[in-house]
Amino acid sequence: MKHLFAIAAALVSSAAAQGTLFVGTWPHTVQVVDEAKQKVVDHIELQTGTSHSMQISDDRKTIYASTIEKNGIEVIDVATRKVTNSFVLDEGGKKMRFNSWAADPTGKFIYMIVRPMEKKIDRFEQGKQQFAIVDLAQKKITKFVDMPAGEDAMGGGGRGGAMRFSPDGKYLYRMGGTITIYDASDFKVVDTIELSKPQFPGMQNVNLGQQLDSIQEPGILVSLFNSSDPVVHKNIFGIARFDLSKRTFQFTPIGPAAASMQGLHVAPDHKTGYTVTTNGTGGNKRSEFWVIDIPTGRVIRTQEFDGRARYTFGMSSTGKDLYIYGAGYDIEVYDPVTLKLRSTIDLNADQTTGMIVLPGK
Amino acid sequence: MKHLRAVNQKARRIQEHIENDVVAMQGPQGPAAQRPHVPMGCSIVFSPGWEVDSSGGTAGLCQPVERDLYDCYISCYWPAQVPDHMNNYPDWTAKCAAATKDWRNIDLVFP
Repeated sequence: MKHLFAIAAALVSSAAAQGTLFVGTWPHTVQVVDEAKQKVVDHIELQTGTSHSMQISDDRKTIYASTIEKNGIEVIDVATRKVTNSFVLDEGGKKMRFNSWAADPTGKFIYMIVRPMEKKIDRFEQGKQQFAIVDLAQKKITKFVDMPAGEDAMGGGGRGGAMRFSPDGKYLYRMGGTITIYDASDFKVVDTIELSKPQFPGMQNVNLGQQLDSIQEPGILVSLFNSSDPVVHKNIFGIARFDLSKRTFQFTPIGPAAASMQGLHVAPDHKTGYTVTTNGTGGNKRSEFWVIDIPTGRVIRTQEFDGRARYTFGMSSTGKDLYIYGAGYDIEVYDPVTLKLRSTIDLNADQTTGMIVLPGK
Repeated sequence: MKHLRAVNQKARRIQEHIENDVVAMQGPQGPAAQRPHVPMGCSIVFSPGWEVDSSGGTAGLCQPVERDLYDCYISCYWPAQVPDHMNNYPDWTAKCAAATKDWRNIDLVFP
């Protein structure tokens, strides 16, 4: 009960205005949801197809969306909610399939890893994976660079791994089992950080998870990590902060890792964190919210809920709502204090991307 | 076990035998459970609709199954069980944004 009061007090003290959600939906739309009204307030129609993934610029003024049918890119101005640039990378029968990408800090280029697929008379011929630079003004790929030997196999299930730029735009980071740091001007490898080797005291087999959008620190990549200790191999999870300028890590262990965790979201006061864990598979799958006291790293509450077979976990800009969404047309809104379903936001279209949460002004 | 060193033949054999020394309770215990063989993924399994879950059943599928319909090619690029949205039938769902609600509006496709 004491914990409940503490969580409630923290949420009440958060007086920030509620924000806006951007979610890609079927068939080729980005829906804008007002967090306070919990209603769709705008639709942004994309020009090139169904959105597959979205990223937001560091200044939070621009959303970049990738579309799937013809490997398109769309640039959305957050303030006006208009598409300001859109084009496709496919050229006739040549498909430029990409999964891993990042916009540079100037907003002029997108760096990506592409694998061309060329339609021949009787087959698709799969090209080699390459780095590519997309000039947003020229609306095309202006440069291809071969990947170093062995590099094309690394990262995110064959999908290239996440990419991030250093704040000055000089270095490009590619996240996988190894973090590879490239010079952004010529793609030469300037450094690598082996996460599997026990270079951090008491840790080995460090795996970085998804980025935590709810902890925004300029120039810092904040994400979950999983690791095991070298003696009894006990799996733990925690928060990793990677300084993109200094290339240094800070690991804050939180607790024993569950079979699967759906990211960690931290309330604006940085004191209370929420994650969703799943154990079991198929019909035996059980989903639970975990509430974590961040300063002490203790799990202070768990609550089972009716999870979907496939879903994504999110949190509102104020930390007053927890979202379960994906695989369907609705966003379920849970109360962070009671951890019970409070309401549902009907998008009336199936979701195709993750959610971008922008705080209110 | 880096703090212990095998000093005789038997100890060295034990060391060779044990790849992972001490594993905490959180680690997987015992042999992995047998999983169903689903040839070529979900592409040729037509019961009940177009796929089965990792245990070979349907309890782990999205409910209703229409929730999962569009993900067949958004994340799988796998057009076998649904019309080929990429190349030949790009508009087969043009009138159906929410498959759970509007599946009756999905176009019939005759390859």
